[in-house]
Amino acid sequence: MIKKEVKIINKLGLHARASSKLTQLASQFDSEIFIIKDSKKVNAKNIMDILMLAASIGSKVELQVTGSDEKIAIKEVENLFKNYFDEGE
Amino acid sequence: MVSFNIHGVPVSNGIAIGTSHLISNALLEVVRYDIKTKKIDFEVKRFKKALLTVKNELIRIKKRLLLDSNSQFAPFIDTHLMLLSDSNISDEPAQTIKDEKCNAEWAIKIQLDLIIDKFNQIEDPYIKERKHDVVQVAERVIKVLLGHKKQKINFKNESSVILVAQDISPADTLQFKNHKYGAFITEMGGANSHTAILARSLNIPSIVALKNAKKLIKNNDTLIVDGNQGIVIINPSSAILEEYQYKQNLWEIEQKKLIKIRNIKCKTLGNQTITLLANIEVPEDIKSVKENNGDGIGLFRTEFLFMNRSSLPDEEEQFNIYKSVTKSMGKLPVVIRTLDSGADKNIAADNNNKNNSALGLRAIRLCLSEPHLFTTQLKAILRASAFGNIRILIPMLSSLQELRQTKMLIERAKQSLKNSKIKFNNKILVGGMIEVPAVAINADMFANELDFLSIGTNDLVQYTLAIDRTDDSVSHLYNSLHSAVLRLIDNTIKAGMKYNKEVSICGEMAGDPKLTKLLLGMGLTNFSMHPTSMLTVKKQVLSSDPKKIKIKANKILRSIEPDNIESLIQDINK
Repeated sequence: MIKKEVKIINKLGLHARASSKLTQLASQFDSEIFIIKDSKKVNAKNIMDILMLAASIGSKVELQVTGSDEKIAIKEVENLFKNYFDEGE
Repeated sequence: MVSFNIHGVPVSNGIAIGTSHLISNALLEVVRYDIKTKKIDFEVKRFKKALLTVKNELIRIKKRLLLDSNSQFAPFIDTHLMLLSDSNISDEPAQTIKDEKCNAEWAIKIQLDLIIDKFNQIEDPYIKERKHDVVQVAERVIKVLLGHKKQKINFKNESSVILVAQDISPADTLQFKNHKYGAFITEMGGANSHTAILARSLNIPSIVALKNAKKLIKNNDTLIVDGNQGIVIINPSSAILEEYQYKQNLWEIEQKKLIKIRNIKCKTLGNQTITLLANIEVPEDIKSVKENNGDGIGLFRTEFLFMNRSSLPDEEEQFNIYKSVTKSMGKLPVVIRTLDSGADKNIAADNNNKNNSALGLRAIRLCLSEPHLFTTQLKAILRASAFGNIRILIPMLSSLQELRQTKMLIERAKQSLKNSKIKFNNKILVGGMIEVPAVAINADMFANELDFLSIGTNDLVQYTLAIDRTDDSVSHLYNSLHSAVLRLIDNTIKAGMKYNKEVSICGEMAGDPKLTKLLLGMGLTNFSMHPTSMLTVKKQVLSSDPKKIKIKANKILRSIEPDNIESLIQDINK
């Protein structure tokens, strides 16, 4: 299992569009991908759970990835956060 | 039949008269029944099959939506597809069927109730609203399970059909977009709901947030939908019906005429050019400004940037928004009002502020007491000024000291940008809002020290007459035509003329076509208003004879009797 902390830097946070991008990306991997915020742990392949984290700009979340493709999965998910979910801001 | 009215939020203008058609709500039909142990597997299969049917249906809709490149709804269908495959929707109910030995519809319904409960606990209003998407997806599955045939609505005379729904989902929009119904009215939704976007794109009247509409309205009721006022009249009397038919005709004729004047220069009969500017709240409003051919942005309210969030926007975020707005307006002016929060508009980091009165710590007072917050905004505005014609507007000034202190902070922000070698417009114009009576009385002193003045009539009326705008019990005393208000406006316009500084009005008065001629007669040349009011105001300008209205405006200013003012206003508009 790999763990990593990432910060949400896009303006709208994990809103509908960002959440759906995250879910889409996560679903491409075999690994289990969890997002942890405060004490809540949710499956990144479930859009609703991610939405309900209500993570806004500035908040920090932990990624937990376990599985055969965990290395590439964590890297790509981290990049999505770093690239403002391709929202440009 | 008893006639009655219900009130909601108007989201698309116009008047429609027709008969109601209620769109059914599958969730209400769901009942629980027991499933025998040996039939459980079958029930789970039935559930899974329904999921697949809905999935294929949504994929089909998405493909058709993508054929229309203008569609704004295709991305929403993606979200719905993902919600459908979310284990909360796709797995949990199957487990419930096994555990509870209940039917699939019921299993979805109780799961949905749980999800809605969770969404309701979320503070972020935007995410909270997404529960409607979950409901729409679940409803589709339930409809399939109940064996609902696809709701095909075929009418001989579509334009007299008024659709009454709980909510309109993005997937429904496909069904509706090739039809021209009379109006949409829904129980849920807000100004930017799917219903609102759809209705505006089809240019038909629409009202949302009509509580209990589906309980109060029956199928085939006669309805009047007044999308200008947000009123639905159910089973109107023949007199009311006649009145509205007349209003509807007038409105349609008026709309056709207005479009024709869009490209005409805004000049009085005396050939004087009048500037019509727009008040905007979010960058998306620019679309409407362009549709109505506005001469620029006269008031960009920046509060929306600061509201409904847990942390304040940083300089970079603000800069990017101001830059995008000014870039899309080209050389046209963009007046950015610095944070005007407090009173009725609370901001994120301002939770400790208990005193929210209109007379309290708000607007420039708040900014001067929180110089860090203010400087961040000033720097963002200054940086964006390198990309267009940006001006700064300071809200709620009440003394010259405040103004000087503000200007000092602007100079400091400039200096810090210079030190970092960041480009900005060093000659950026700084204006002040005239909304406190003390400033309107001393308008000449402020005109001397400012580059332009902008009269905020809403607050000016409230402060001059001591009427709390949020208190219904005194709202009848709110009167923008009170002679004291008019004299303060007159004084401000004259002060601008004396020091050769531009004066504009950016409150409700500027967008009220009944007052256009009066304000023109008082010498006002800059009007800033909601973009959708621009063409009606322009029409008034085009028919104004400066000499005549000047005399009549003077008469109004000298009038003491309130009743007299009303008849004089009618006279000036003749």
